Amino acid sequence: MAGSGVARRGAIRRRNALTGYSLLAPSLFGVVCFLLLPVLVVVWLSFQSWDLIGPISYVGLDNYRSVLTDGVFGNSLLVTLVFVALVVPIQTAIGLWAATLLTRGLPGSAWFRTIYVLPWIAAPLALGVVWKWILAPTDGALNTLIGQRIEWLSDPSLALPSVAAVVIWTNVGYVTLFFMAGLLNIPDQVLEAARIDGAGGMSLFWQIKLPLLRPTMFFVLVTTVISAFQVFDQVYALTQGGPARTTDVVAARIYYEAFSAFDLGRAAVMAVVLLVILVTITLAQQLYFRRRVTYEME
Amino acid sequence: MRWTRPAAVYLVLVAGAVFTLAPFLLSVLTAFKPRQQFARESALAWPDPFTLDNIVALITGPAQFGRAILVTLLAATLILVGQLISSILAAYAFARVDFPGRNALFWVYLSTLMIPPVVLVVPLYLMMTEAGLRNSFWSLVLPFAFASPYAIFLLREYFRGIPQELIDAARLDGASTLDVLVEIVVPLSRPIIATLTLITIVSHWNSFMWPLVVTSGSEWRVVTVATASLQSQFNGNWTLVMAATTLALVPLLVLFLVFQRQFVRSITFSGLK
Repeated sequence: MAGSGVARRGAIRRRNALTGYSLLAPSLFGVVCFLLLPVLVVVWLSFQSWDLIGPISYVGLDNYRSVLTDGVFGNSLLVTLVFVALVVPIQTAIGLWAATLLTRGLPGSAWFRTIYVLPWIAAPLALGVVWKWILAPTDGALNTLIGQRIEWLSDPSLALPSVAAVVIWTNVGYVTLFFMAGLLNIPDQVLEAARIDGAGGMSLFWQIKLPLLRPTMFFVLVTTVISAFQVFDQVYALTQGGPARTTDVVAARIYYEAFSAFDLGRAAVMAVVLLVILVTITLAQQLYFRRRVTYEME
Repeated sequence: MRWTRPAAVYLVLVAGAVFTLAPFLLSVLTAFKPRQQFARESALAWPDPFTLDNIVALITGPAQFGRAILVTLLAATLILVGQLISSILAAYAFARVDFPGRNALFWVYLSTLMIPPVVLVVPLYLMMTEAGLRNSFWSLVLPFAFASPYAIFLLREYFRGIPQELIDAARLDGASTLDVLVEIVVPLSRPIIATLTLITIVSHWNSFMWPLVVTSGSEWRVVTVATASLQSQFNGNWTLVMAATTLALVPLLVLFLVFQRQFVRSITFSGLK
């Protein structure tokens, strides 16, 4: 009896293995071929020289040396950091503010929420194109409206803030949604207790709501930082990285390096650096999140 | 506190709504504006008369926007079907089948969520070139149609909430794993599948960088790439360009208005575009 039990358990295990791997086969093919393999390929390519047409040849650390010393990529990293530093705090603040206004239970709140989310479903590229026209210096809608002739996208000191403003405009509704969900999750008893203790208005927000929103805040900050680091579509539509590389964010630099300058090796180095930066941010956030926030989630 | 007054709140909310909607309204107005009027009058002028010329020119003209819409729709649909099938199968395996290596593999899947899409563009381009698929319809679809670790993660969470007794009962009646999936698991998971459907369609209808890189010429141009090339090709022909951005938004807008509640919930739920 015991022997046949073991045999049967063995048979079940084999059957489970067969079922499990059959079910996984399509997705495993996708994960290996189109996610894991490309990461290996990009690391490999970062040690090669390739111009899209000719043969691929090994060049050792040459790409790394040129990317890390010629200043172009350094400029892109700096531009991206400034962009992230502009976009994330501002859109978080506006989103949080809008969320507090929309969770007061005022009639019509759902309508406003719907309107605010609208830019999030549209293609970032198309929105970039629309804003390119609105911000056009002579016949653009904005300059027509304010009666000025401001070079929003071709003045080197205005271009990056303008691109950031367009991206903030696109993202605010999305950020608002998350803060609304977070605010609505705060138990009424907690707010009631705070009110009885004399907290109201501003102090209720700063001392009760904001600390309780910490998990939402972390989630929003991490996802928006990571997506801001990869901004491409709006930059492509608005400025193509110009003027004078003042909006030349990392994703745009990778694209131009690969498909305008035809230097795939250098583009691969930049992709590898971006990968390392974003994985580091994610892992650091995971560690911090696990230590500081999980116990508050319930 | 002045700011807590409803009137002040509404003032802020309306200002926000106007600021959000204005670019959309401007592009729609321009799409229906005669070209001559656009050249002559202020950008803010009302169309006089309303015209469909721009839309017609866009679809029948050299821009081939109609073809771009079809290509995009077909690619997004194939990606959606592929992702749903492969993700449902994988999620069920991770949730309900006890096979060796399950946890390790699940961690591998999860870890791929950290890979930024921008990083994959260059290596995928090389791989598609080597496979002879550059500038083909399949290059738009293949890299995304087999797996979405993200969908697998969400579906697995959902499947774990389905009562095991239901599955066991079906098993006793002689149902195979696929029967269980088709007859019990999928029908019970309709909300999460609807959510994933919306997210997948929106993100692939709007995707730009990969199609821009992997296709060239007008044959396999998707909507976003066609819009961008209109902008650079017919520089200054903004009525045509705005017709393109308007037309590209219509399907998503309809989808959004019909499934509004679902959409809002899915965005909050997913945290991804």
